[in-house]
Amino acid sequence: MKRYELIVIGAGPSGLSAAIEAAEAGMQVVVFDENGRPGGQLFKQIHKFFGSKEHQAKVRGVRIGENLLAKAKDLGIHVILDATVLGIYKNKEVSVLIEDEVQNYKADAVIIATGAAENMIPFKGWDLPGVMGAGAAQTMMNIQGIRPGGKILMVGSGNVGLVVSFQLLQAGCEVAAIIDAAPRVGGYGVHASKVTRTGIPLYTSYTVIEAKGVDSVESAVIARVDECFQPIPGTEIELGVDTICIAVGLSPMSQLADNAGCQMEFAPGKGGNVPVLSETGETSIANVYCAGDVAGIEEASSAMIQGKIAAAAIARDLGYIDDIEFAEKKTAYAESLSKIRAGMFAPGNKGKVFEKTDEGFTISDSLLTKGYLSESELSAFPALDASGGTHIVIECTQNIPCDPCQDVCPAGCIIVGNTITQIPKLDKDKKCSGCGLCVGVCSGQAIFLVNDQYEDGYGTVGLPYEFLPLPAKGDVGKALDRSGAPVCDATVVEVRTNKAMDKTAMLVMKVPVDQLSSARFFKAAEGGN
Amino acid sequence: MRIVAHPIIEDYQKGPLVQFLYNGETVEGHAGESIAAALRAMGVRIHRYTTKQHKPRGVFCAIGRCTDCVMVVNGVSNVRTCITPLEAGMTVQTQFGLKAGDGK
Repeated sequence: MKRYELIVIGAGPSGLSAAIEAAEAGMQVVVFDENGRPGGQLFKQIHKFFGSKEHQAKVRGVRIGENLLAKAKDLGIHVILDATVLGIYKNKEVSVLIEDEVQNYKADAVIIATGAAENMIPFKGWDLPGVMGAGAAQTMMNIQGIRPGGKILMVGSGNVGLVVSFQLLQAGCEVAAIIDAAPRVGGYGVHASKVTRTGIPLYTSYTVIEAKGVDSVESAVIARVDECFQPIPGTEIELGVDTICIAVGLSPMSQLADNAGCQMEFAPGKGGNVPVLSETGETSIANVYCAGDVAGIEEASSAMIQGKIAAAAIARDLGYIDDIEFAEKKTAYAESLSKIRAGMFAPGNKGKVFEKTDEGFTISDSLLTKGYLSESELSAFPALDASGGTHIVIECTQNIPCDPCQDVCPAGCIIVGNTITQIPKLDKDKKCSGCGLCVGVCSGQAIFLVNDQYEDGYGTVGLPYEFLPLPAKGDVGKALDRSGAPVCDATVVEVRTNKAMDKTAMLVMKVPVDQLSSARFFKAAEGGN
Repeated sequence: MRIVAHPIIEDYQKGPLVQFLYNGETVEGHAGESIAAALRAMGVRIHRYTTKQHKPRGVFCAIGRCTDCVMVVNGVSNVRTCITPLEAGMTVQTQFGLKAGDGK
């Protein structure tokens, strides 16, 4: 039997972070993962993360994954892939299936960081080829480089549904619609807005009732639902799609903890059956810990911190760090965790409906029901500066934990403050230099650079752009409004890219001045670029 | 179906193009990509037919959990094609029930 001081199960964000923390303290660590590649779901997350600098905000998940792997390698952490942990037994003995052979390991402590699995909803035809998890589509396009389908219906408007819809567009797929049975958009308004402004309809109070097709999906039937989530006859719409993606939430993969005999609880707010944990993530079995989505569905950012807390606690128990160092680490990590867990979408606020922001602004009804802000509702928010010349418009209207815009502005125009869930404000005494960094850096793609004095009767709108082909200066097309409807002709006058914006371009388009407050996306003319 | 250019991802780190046999026909895919990916790139969506009702099944979870995408690979049934890397010379067959076959 092989011995290690710490066995980590799962090489995702939480498991790798835990292993790194433990190895840095001097512990001998092994990480098992049933997959052929490490990193868990991080390498599929090609969007920029939210949070603050300490949470690696504005960094794409895939880069965070690369950094974690590099660090683990530097520290000489033993990561064993294609290794399925079968069970955790008495005295922290762990059985692992490696290449059709069961091997036994023993450790002083175990961290279970097995993550989560996608939920599904059954409907007529849901077993046809072409119906798949949104995560499956993400794996196909972002890992394998294959489009899962040509035209897609996305079921679910949580962050996964919204982010994957955007990524489907980036991969060159068409998204016919995003639907959600709930009467409100489930995910961040900014994630919804960046999809709806491209012209994708978002229908709340709609569900999928049938996937039609002989050998694979040929169309999807959706219908409006009543307050009890029952389809209303006569409201059916048939959409010609070849793929239906299901994004209806995740469930913790907590079977290992359950089978090991850890005390479990059913917590709907955490996504299902989860182990009962101490402050540091210890289960009811001494020195068996859980961290990340297995302990309750959250974001990768909090999973990483949970991994570190568990590892630090183990390092203290095994004598690798003293009580003082542990207390310092614990305080810092707990603070970081509470920052990212704050705001309207915090884990504890699941299912709650907010009508006002913390600052007292009325949340846009249009944003919650259609996925985009209406101009009249937006005008109540503070990050609108109607001053002449070049200025920014920040369309960030919910309390979400994120503040890179504040850090990146060289002129100090943007104020979020220390509470990173605050809605950004503009410092009217500072002058925007027009650098566009905030436009390219905002993880929610919610900042626009507006110049109302470009030339007589015309102004420009600078917007974040992450699609191919990248338009070029001189290209003509239509400016789309927040709902994705064309509002006027537009000409590209500049396309700005730089390293800090990490592949997000700022596309600057010229539009008539009266459309400056509505034009938010550029669609190249057919046959053009 | 292959993504030729992507605005964010520069390189999918694919192996070289290799030949393999799909239902007796010589076809191509990249070594190291999942068998399912190589098949999807060719337009294949049906991986198997169920035993009793002969209903088609394809990729559903793409991470090796659901077993909907299993096929007969190198003569072995129930191979999860979404997590099995493609190798040169592999034989991949549509699975009917629990074994390879030539139709319903």
